[in-house]
Amino acid sequence: MHEASIALSVLEIAVDNCRKAGYNRIESIRLKIGRASGIMIDALLFAFNAVKADTIAAEASVIIDEIPVSGLCSSCGKDFVTEEKYVLCCPECSSTSFNIKTGRELEIIDMEVF
Amino acid sequence: MKVKVVTRILEANERIAAENRRLFDEANIYVINLMSAPGAGKTSLLEKTIKELNGKIKTAVIEGDIAGTSDAERISSLGVPVIQINTGGACHLDANMINEVLESLPLKETDLLFVENVGNLVCPAEFNIGEDMKAMVLSITEGDDKPLKYPLMFQESSALILNKIDLLPYTNASMEKIRKDAMSLNPSLKTFEVSCKTGKGIAEWAEWLTEKIKS
Repeated sequence: MHEASIALSVLEIAVDNCRKAGYNRIESIRLKIGRASGIMIDALLFAFNAVKADTIAAEASVIIDEIPVSGLCSSCGKDFVTEEKYVLCCPECSSTSFNIKTGRELEIIDMEVF
Repeated sequence: MKVKVVTRILEANERIAAENRRLFDEANIYVINLMSAPGAGKTSLLEKTIKELNGKIKTAVIEGDIAGTSDAERISSLGVPVIQINTGGACHLDANMINEVLESLPLKETDLLFVENVGNLVCPAEFNIGEDMKAMVLSITEGDDKPLKYPLMFQESSALILNKIDLLPYTNASMEKIRKDAMSLNPSLKTFEVSCKTGKGIAEWAEWLTEKIKS
Protein backbone atom coordinates (compact mmCIF):
# COMPACT_ATOMS: atom_id res chain seq x y z
CA MET A 1 0.00 0.00 0.00
CA HIS A 2 1.01 3.66 0.01
CA GLU A 3 2.26 3.49 -3.56
CA ALA A 4 1.94 7.27 -3.83
CA SER A 5 4.32 8.00 -0.95
CA ILE A 6 6.64 5.24 -2.19
CA ALA A 7 6.61 6.81 -5.67
CA LEU A 8 7.60 10.10 -4.06
CA SER A 9 10.43 8.39 -2.19
CA VAL A 10 11.65 6.76 -5.42
CA LEU A 11 11.61 10.17 -7.14
CA GLU A 12 13.43 11.87 -4.26
CA ILE A 13 16.15 9.20 -4.02
CA ALA A 14 16.61 9.15 -7.81
CA VAL A 15 16.82 12.94 -8.21
CA ASP A 16 19.21 13.18 -5.26
CA ASN A 17 21.54 10.47 -6.60
CA CYS A 18 21.41 11.86 -10.13
CA ARG A 19 22.42 15.34 -9.00
CA LYS A 20 25.16 14.01 -6.69
CA ALA A 21 26.62 12.05 -9.63
CA GLY A 22 26.72 15.32 -11.61
CA TYR A 23 23.98 14.61 -14.17
CA ASN A 24 20.80 16.49 -15.07
CA ARG A 25 18.31 14.11 -16.64
CA ILE A 26 17.05 10.67 -15.65
CA GLU A 27 16.25 8.32 -18.51
CA SER A 28 15.24 5.23 -16.55
CA ILE A 29 15.15 3.87 -13.00
CA ARG A 30 15.45 0.17 -12.15
CA LEU A 31 13.61 -1.11 -9.09
CA LYS A 32 13.73 -4.46 -7.33
CA ILE A 33 10.28 -5.32 -5.97
CA GLY A 34 9.54 -8.55 -4.15
CA ARG A 35 6.22 -10.27 -4.89
CA ALA A 36 5.49 -10.29 -1.14
CA SER A 37 6.42 -6.64 -0.60
CA GLY A 38 2.74 -5.63 -0.64
CA ILE A 39 3.33 -3.24 -3.54
CA MET A 40 0.88 -3.18 -6.45
CA ILE A 41 3.13 -2.49 -9.41
CA ASP A 42 0.43 -0.90 -11.59
CA ALA A 43 -0.45 1.49 -8.79
CA LEU A 44 3.21 2.35 -8.23
CA LEU A 45 3.81 3.07 -11.93
CA PHE A 46 0.63 5.15 -12.10
CA ALA A 47 1.69 7.19 -9.05
CA PHE A 48 5.24 7.62 -10.34
CA ASN A 49 4.01 8.93 -13.70
CA ALA A 50 1.92 11.45 -11.79
CA VAL A 51 4.69 12.74 -9.50
CA LYS A 52 7.60 12.81 -12.00
CA ALA A 53 6.11 15.74 -13.96
CA ASP A 54 8.24 18.94 -14.00
CA THR A 55 11.24 17.21 -12.45
CA ILE A 56 14.51 15.94 -13.94
CA ALA A 57 12.78 12.53 -14.06
CA ALA A 58 9.92 13.86 -16.21
CA GLU A 59 10.80 11.54 -19.12
CA ALA A 60 12.03 8.64 -16.97
CA SER A 61 10.72 5.13 -17.44
CA VAL A 62 10.64 2.62 -14.58
CA ILE A 63 11.95 -0.92 -15.04
CA ILE A 64 10.90 -3.41 -12.43
CA ASP A 65 12.73 -6.61 -11.51
CA GLU A 66 10.05 -8.64 -9.76
CA ILE A 67 11.54 -11.02 -7.18
CA PRO A 68 9.69 -14.27 -6.38
CA VAL A 69 9.08 -15.43 -2.83
CA SER A 70 11.56 -18.06 -1.66
CA GLY A 71 12.37 -19.58 1.69
CA LEU A 72 13.90 -22.36 3.70
CA CYS A 73 11.82 -24.78 5.74
CA SER A 74 13.16 -25.48 9.25
CA SER A 75 11.23 -28.76 9.42
CA CYS A 76 12.15 -30.65 6.21
CA GLY A 77 15.23 -28.52 5.47
CA LYS A 78 14.22 -27.91 1.83
CA ASP A 79 14.52 -24.64 -0.07
CA PHE A 80 11.36 -23.56 -1.83
CA VAL A 81 10.28 -20.98 -4.40
CA THR A 82 6.63 -20.10 -4.92
CA GLU A 83 4.37 -18.06 -7.19
CA GLU A 84 2.25 -17.18 -4.15
CA LYS A 85 2.48 -13.78 -2.42
CA TYR A 86 1.71 -15.19 1.00
CA VAL A 87 3.33 -18.35 2.26
CA LEU A 88 1.25 -20.00 4.98
CA CYS A 89 3.24 -23.24 5.11
CA CYS A 90 6.13 -25.08 3.44
CA PRO A 91 4.98 -26.26 -0.03
CA GLU A 92 6.94 -29.49 0.50
CA CYS A 93 5.91 -30.66 3.97
CA SER A 94 3.22 -28.13 5.07
CA SER A 95 5.13 -27.12 8.19
CA THR A 96 4.54 -23.59 9.50
CA SER A 97 8.20 -23.30 10.59
CA PHE A 98 10.01 -21.61 7.74
CA ASN A 99 12.04 -18.49 6.97
CA ILE A 100 11.41 -16.28 3.97
CA LYS A 101 14.64 -15.50 2.08
CA THR A 102 13.49 -13.38 -0.86
CA GLY A 103 10.27 -11.66 -1.90
CA ARG A 104 9.96 -8.65 0.40
CA GLU A 105 12.42 -6.35 -1.37
CA LEU A 106 11.61 -2.72 -2.17
CA GLU A 107 14.79 -1.18 -3.54
CA ILE A 108 16.21 1.14 -6.19
CA ILE A 109 19.04 -0.67 -7.96
CA ASP A 110 20.40 1.78 -10.53
CA MET A 111 19.45 4.42 -13.09
CA GLU A 112 20.39 5.58 -16.57
CA VAL A 113 21.19 9.31 -16.55
CA PHE A 114 22.60 11.91 -18.95
CA MET B 1 25.54 6.59 -18.05
CA LYS B 2 24.51 4.10 -15.41
CA VAL B 3 24.46 5.27 -11.80
CA LYS B 4 24.30 2.65 -9.07
CA VAL B 5 21.83 3.54 -6.32
CA VAL B 6 21.18 0.37 -4.28
CA THR B 7 18.92 1.99 -1.69
CA ARG B 8 16.05 0.50 0.25
CA ILE B 9 13.09 2.76 -0.42
CA LEU B 10 11.71 2.58 3.11
CA GLU B 11 15.14 3.23 4.60
CA ALA B 12 14.08 6.63 5.96
CA ASN B 13 11.44 5.11 8.25
CA GLU B 14 13.79 2.34 9.36
CA ARG B 15 16.47 4.87 10.25
CA ILE B 16 14.10 6.92 12.42
CA ALA B 17 12.65 3.77 14.00
CA ALA B 18 16.20 2.79 15.00
CA GLU B 19 16.68 6.27 16.53
CA ASN B 20 13.43 5.87 18.50
CA ARG B 21 14.66 2.45 19.65
CA ARG B 22 17.89 4.03 20.87
CA LEU B 23 15.98 6.61 22.92
CA PHE B 24 13.72 3.92 24.39
CA ASP B 25 16.71 1.71 25.32
CA GLU B 26 18.47 4.66 26.92
CA ALA B 27 15.42 5.36 29.11
CA ASN B 28 14.75 1.62 29.64
CA ILE B 29 11.19 1.69 28.29
CA TYR B 30 9.19 -1.26 26.96
CA VAL B 31 7.14 -0.13 23.96
CA ILE B 32 3.98 -1.76 22.66
CA ASN B 33 2.49 -0.78 19.28
CA LEU B 34 -1.23 -1.54 19.74
CA MET B 35 -3.20 -2.04 16.52
CA SER B 36 -6.71 -3.03 15.50
CA ALA B 37 -9.65 -2.17 13.26
CA PRO B 38 -11.60 0.94 14.32
CA GLY B 39 -13.82 0.24 17.32
CA ALA B 40 -12.27 -3.11 18.31
CA GLY B 41 -11.46 -1.79 21.79
CA LYS B 42 -7.86 -0.50 21.87
CA THR B 43 -8.61 2.48 24.12
CA SER B 44 -10.91 0.44 26.35
CA LEU B 45 -8.17 -2.18 26.72
CA LEU B 46 -5.68 0.51 27.67
CA GLU B 47 -8.09 1.94 30.26
CA LYS B 48 -8.65 -1.49 31.79
CA THR B 49 -4.94 -2.43 31.64
CA ILE B 50 -3.77 0.82 33.25
CA LYS B 51 -6.32 0.40 36.06
CA GLU B 52 -5.26 -3.24 36.55
CA LEU B 53 -1.57 -2.33 36.71
CA ASN B 54 -2.56 0.21 39.36
CA GLY B 55 0.65 2.25 39.31
CA LYS B 56 2.88 -0.84 39.75
CA ILE B 57 4.38 -0.06 36.35
CA LYS B 58 4.88 3.57 35.28
CA THR B 59 2.91 3.90 32.05
CA ALA B 60 2.63 6.53 29.31
CA VAL B 61 0.53 6.54 26.16
CA ILE B 62 0.82 7.99 22.65
CA GLU B 63 -2.58 8.14 20.95
CA GLY B 64 -2.85 8.13 17.15
CA ASP B 65 -6.00 9.23 15.33
CA ILE B 66 -6.76 11.01 12.09
CA ALA B 67 -8.60 13.68 14.05
CA GLY B 68 -9.95 14.41 17.51
CA THR B 69 -8.63 14.04 21.05
CA SER B 70 -11.28 11.84 22.69
CA ASP B 71 -8.93 8.87 23.16
CA ALA B 72 -6.24 11.01 24.79
CA GLU B 73 -8.87 12.57 27.07
CA ARG B 74 -9.97 9.13 28.27
CA ILE B 75 -6.38 8.15 29.10
CA SER B 76 -5.62 11.52 30.67
CA SER B 77 -8.45 11.07 33.20
CA LEU B 78 -6.55 8.03 34.53
CA GLY B 79 -3.68 10.33 35.53
CA VAL B 80 -1.23 8.84 33.02
CA PRO B 81 0.98 11.00 30.72
CA VAL B 82 -0.52 10.97 27.22
CA ILE B 83 0.10 12.72 23.89
CA GLN B 84 -2.41 12.79 21.04
CA ILE B 85 -1.06 12.65 17.49
CA ASN B 86 -3.50 13.75 14.77
CA THR B 87 -2.28 12.46 11.43
CA GLY B 88 -4.71 14.64 9.48
CA GLY B 89 -5.27 11.86 6.96
CA ALA B 90 -2.41 9.35 7.21
CA CYS B 91 -3.82 5.90 7.92
CA HIS B 92 -1.04 4.72 10.23
CA LEU B 93 1.61 6.08 12.58
CA ASP B 94 5.17 6.05 11.29
CA ALA B 95 8.53 6.37 13.04
CA ASN B 96 8.84 10.08 12.28
CA MET B 97 5.49 10.96 13.88
CA ILE B 98 6.54 9.12 17.04
CA ASN B 99 10.00 10.70 17.05
CA GLU B 100 8.46 14.19 16.98
CA VAL B 101 6.45 13.72 20.19
CA LEU B 102 9.01 11.85 22.30
CA GLU B 103 10.47 15.02 23.80
CA SER B 104 7.03 15.86 25.26
CA LEU B 105 6.91 12.62 27.28
CA PRO B 106 8.62 11.95 30.64
CA LEU B 107 10.73 9.12 29.17
CA LYS B 108 13.05 8.80 32.18
CA GLU B 109 10.05 8.25 34.50
CA THR B 110 8.35 5.71 32.19
CA ASP B 111 8.66 1.92 32.23
CA LEU B 112 5.94 1.04 29.70
CA LEU B 113 4.83 3.05 26.66
CA PHE B 114 1.69 2.11 24.75
CA VAL B 115 1.36 3.53 21.25
CA GLU B 116 -2.28 3.24 20.24
CA ASN B 117 -2.13 3.21 16.45
CA VAL B 118 -4.75 4.52 14.04
CA GLY B 119 -7.70 2.10 13.76
CA ASN B 120 -6.80 0.13 10.64
CA LEU B 121 -6.32 -3.59 10.03
CA VAL B 122 -3.96 -3.06 7.08
CA CYS B 123 -1.27 -0.36 7.20
CA PRO B 124 0.04 -0.16 10.79
CA ALA B 125 1.51 -3.66 10.42
CA GLU B 126 3.83 -2.41 7.67
CA PHE B 127 5.58 0.28 9.71
CA ASN B 128 8.21 -0.10 12.37
CA ILE B 129 8.14 2.73 14.93
CA GLY B 130 10.89 1.36 17.18
CA GLU B 131 8.59 -0.77 19.34
CA ASP B 132 9.46 -3.90 21.37
CA MET B 133 6.28 -5.62 20.35
CA LYS B 134 3.26 -5.24 18.11
CA ALA B 135 0.00 -6.36 19.74
CA MET B 136 -3.43 -6.40 18.15
CA VAL B 137 -7.01 -6.35 19.33
CA LEU B 138 -9.65 -8.26 17.38
CA SER B 139 -13.24 -7.94 18.60
CA ILE B 140 -15.16 -11.16 18.03
CA THR B 141 -17.98 -9.08 16.48
CA GLU B 142 -15.72 -8.44 13.47
CA GLY B 143 -16.15 -12.03 12.40
CA ASP B 144 -13.93 -15.12 12.53
CA ASP B 145 -12.65 -14.74 8.94
CA LYS B 146 -10.33 -11.80 9.70
CA PRO B 147 -7.01 -13.65 10.17
CA LEU B 148 -6.98 -15.11 6.66
CA LYS B 149 -8.20 -11.83 5.16
CA TYR B 150 -5.58 -9.65 6.89
CA PRO B 151 -2.59 -11.96 7.30
CA LEU B 152 0.19 -9.41 7.81
CA MET B 153 -1.36 -7.88 10.94
CA PHE B 154 -1.56 -11.34 12.57
CA GLN B 155 1.93 -12.32 11.40
CA GLU B 156 3.55 -9.17 12.79
CA SER B 157 1.86 -9.29 16.21
CA SER B 158 3.21 -11.07 19.29
CA ALA B 159 -0.10 -10.89 21.16
CA LEU B 160 -3.70 -11.14 19.96
CA ILE B 161 -6.36 -9.85 22.37
CA LEU B 162 -9.80 -11.17 21.45
CA ASN B 163 -12.22 -8.59 22.87
CA LYS B 164 -16.00 -8.38 23.41
CA ILE B 165 -16.30 -12.06 24.39
CA ASP B 166 -19.38 -11.04 26.38
CA LEU B 167 -21.13 -10.68 23.00
CA LEU B 168 -20.25 -14.20 21.83
CA PRO B 169 -23.81 -15.55 22.35
CA TYR B 170 -25.09 -12.92 19.87
CA THR B 171 -22.70 -13.74 17.02
CA ASN B 172 -21.85 -16.71 14.82
CA ALA B 173 -18.13 -16.27 15.40
CA SER B 174 -16.12 -19.39 16.11
CA MET B 175 -13.32 -18.75 18.61
CA GLU B 176 -11.79 -22.04 17.51
CA LYS B 177 -11.58 -20.87 13.89
CA ILE B 178 -10.04 -17.53 14.89
CA ARG B 179 -7.38 -19.22 17.01
CA LYS B 180 -6.64 -21.94 14.43
CA ASP B 181 -6.30 -19.50 11.52
CA ALA B 182 -4.31 -16.96 13.54
CA MET B 183 -1.91 -19.66 14.78
CA SER B 184 -1.45 -21.02 11.25
CA LEU B 185 -0.19 -17.58 10.24
CA ASN B 186 1.89 -17.11 13.39
CA PRO B 187 2.59 -20.19 15.55
CA SER B 188 4.15 -18.09 18.32
CA LEU B 189 1.17 -15.72 18.65
CA LYS B 190 -0.07 -15.46 22.27
CA THR B 191 -3.87 -15.18 22.47
CA PHE B 192 -6.02 -13.66 25.22
CA GLU B 193 -9.81 -13.70 25.52
CA VAL B 194 -11.16 -10.59 27.24
CA SER B 195 -14.17 -8.44 27.74
CA CYS B 196 -13.30 -4.81 28.44
CA LYS B 197 -16.95 -4.38 29.42
CA THR B 198 -17.09 -7.06 32.13
CA GLY B 199 -13.35 -7.11 32.93
CA LYS B 200 -13.00 -10.83 32.20
CA GLY B 201 -9.51 -11.90 31.12
CA ILE B 202 -7.87 -8.53 31.84
CA ALA B 203 -5.90 -9.79 34.84
CA GLU B 204 -4.27 -12.60 32.80
CA TRP B 205 -3.30 -10.17 30.01
CA ALA B 206 -1.88 -7.66 32.52
CA GLU B 207 0.08 -10.41 34.27
CA TRP B 208 1.62 -11.65 30.99
CA LEU B 209 2.50 -8.08 30.10
CA THR B 210 4.17 -7.54 33.49
CA GLU B 211 6.28 -10.67 33.02
CA LYS B 212 7.27 -9.54 29.51
CA ILE B 213 8.42 -6.15 30.75
CA LYS B 214 10.40 -7.54 33.68
CA SER B 215 12.29 -10.09 31.54
